[in-house]
Amino acid sequence: MQPLDCRRCGNHVLVKKNSLAHTSVQWTEATRCVEFARTPDLTARALQHSCDQMRESIDNAVRAGRIEVPEE
Amino acid sequence: MTSIQSDTEVRVIESVAPPTRFARGWHCLGLIDSFRDGKPHSIEAFGTKLVVFADSRGKLNVLNGYCPHMGGDLSQGTVKGDDVACPFHDWRWSGNGRCSSIPYAKRVPPRARTRSWEVRERNGQLFVWNDPQGNPPPPELEIPEIAAFGDPGWTTWTWNTLRIDGSHCREIIDNVVDMAHFFYIHYAFPVYFKNVFEGHIASQHMNAKPRKDVDVGTNYSNTDDTPNRSEAAYYGPSYMIDYLWSPSSMGEIETVLINCHYPVSPTAFVLQWGVMVKKPQGLTDEEATGMAKAFAEGVELGFVQDVEIWRNKTKIDNPLLCEEDGPVYQLRRWYEQFYVDVEDVTPEMTQRFEFEIDTERAVDFWKKEVEENLAAGRFVTSDPRIESYKASQAEPAGVGGA
Repeated sequence: MQPLDCRRCGNHVLVKKNSLAHTSVQWTEATRCVEFARTPDLTARALQHSCDQMRESIDNAVRAGRIEVPEE
Repeated sequence: MTSIQSDTEVRVIESVAPPTRFARGWHCLGLIDSFRDGKPHSIEAFGTKLVVFADSRGKLNVLNGYCPHMGGDLSQGTVKGDDVACPFHDWRWSGNGRCSSIPYAKRVPPRARTRSWEVRERNGQLFVWNDPQGNPPPPELEIPEIAAFGDPGWTTWTWNTLRIDGSHCREIIDNVVDMAHFFYIHYAFPVYFKNVFEGHIASQHMNAKPRKDVDVGTNYSNTDDTPNRSEAAYYGPSYMIDYLWSPSSMGEIETVLINCHYPVSPTAFVLQWGVMVKKPQGLTDEEATGMAKAFAEGVELGFVQDVEIWRNKTKIDNPLLCEEDGPVYQLRRWYEQFYVDVEDVTPEMTQRFEFEIDTERAVDFWKKEVEENLAAGRFVTSDPRIESYKASQAEPAGVGGA
């Protein structure tokens, strides 16, 4: 897994992509995320699919070649 | 000297004995109404026997099943007032575990107290709290309320119980991450599949289209091409709520499916499932109820497909995974938190982890780049590979290469 910082809040995660369709994200401080901090409790946060800013950060990193995606 | 040939190495299933400890957390024992018939009920769970009974106001209580006097089976006794009376000597046990009276004795011995288990009534279901460390349930672990429960626009729960022997309940937890089985077991085609594990919650979000080559009458197969949506989560080690939206000729059908279990022993557990359906609009109440019941049966048939696999599979500690499989090891890491002391729960077990397969994200990824280029007025007008090829075609024969 490769390290990545969120472009919005700097939160640090590990990312792995086996393909364009696949994404795994390991968080260490989900509560630090500005978007997740808006959810009222753990139940709401665990059901929230993703943080849009982190998702964008990952896509940008893929386009820039910082996150490797194996050839299809 | 011998060398190991990788093509003769065989992968053998490893399996250690299942833990003798039972999961810490809330466990659903069944529908509240099934316990309110005025009789005590016996439940074999957590390696022991429990008695469930309702007091005079209908409040449910759970006690150790055997009377601490001389070992009588309280579930064979009678509910008298707010107590359960032992069939052996009529000792009266109240919901908090204290012996409230002994009809033939002048006084109750001061130490006459049996274990009372912490209970909750939620969503029309009875929950009991299990903790080998004996701590009370933390408020943040309360089972969520299902808003639609009790709404007259929805059917009441169907409910099914099945005991599974020769298996530890961890085996069904693995299903949370199993995207591929939807194609083979449920005849559905996931186009979006996501797992999020955080704290005590493990969720699965899925959009799936029906396989066009299949129609066995389960809810996953319909004639429409619109995806079915499923949002499911385990709240703790044993209770899953699955919200489903299914397109059909009657419009979009909303369903809630409960999938839950409690352990009987390290090698046996009781699996339970139930369904409630939102009655479709524009029908009489009778028509709507009938239609919803039929739909519930379809959902249950889908669930039964899973049950048949779970009943017959073996425990495997070392799954051999391909890259297109879901995060089995991460899920088991999450699940492990319920089998260690609270003080021994590690961050790895509870930190947020996401796994996603999104077939449209792959398409959108490149679409977005095209849109951005168009918006910025950038056009691709040359390609180095084409230039290089043209150049190689323009060279006279014989030049370049010896």
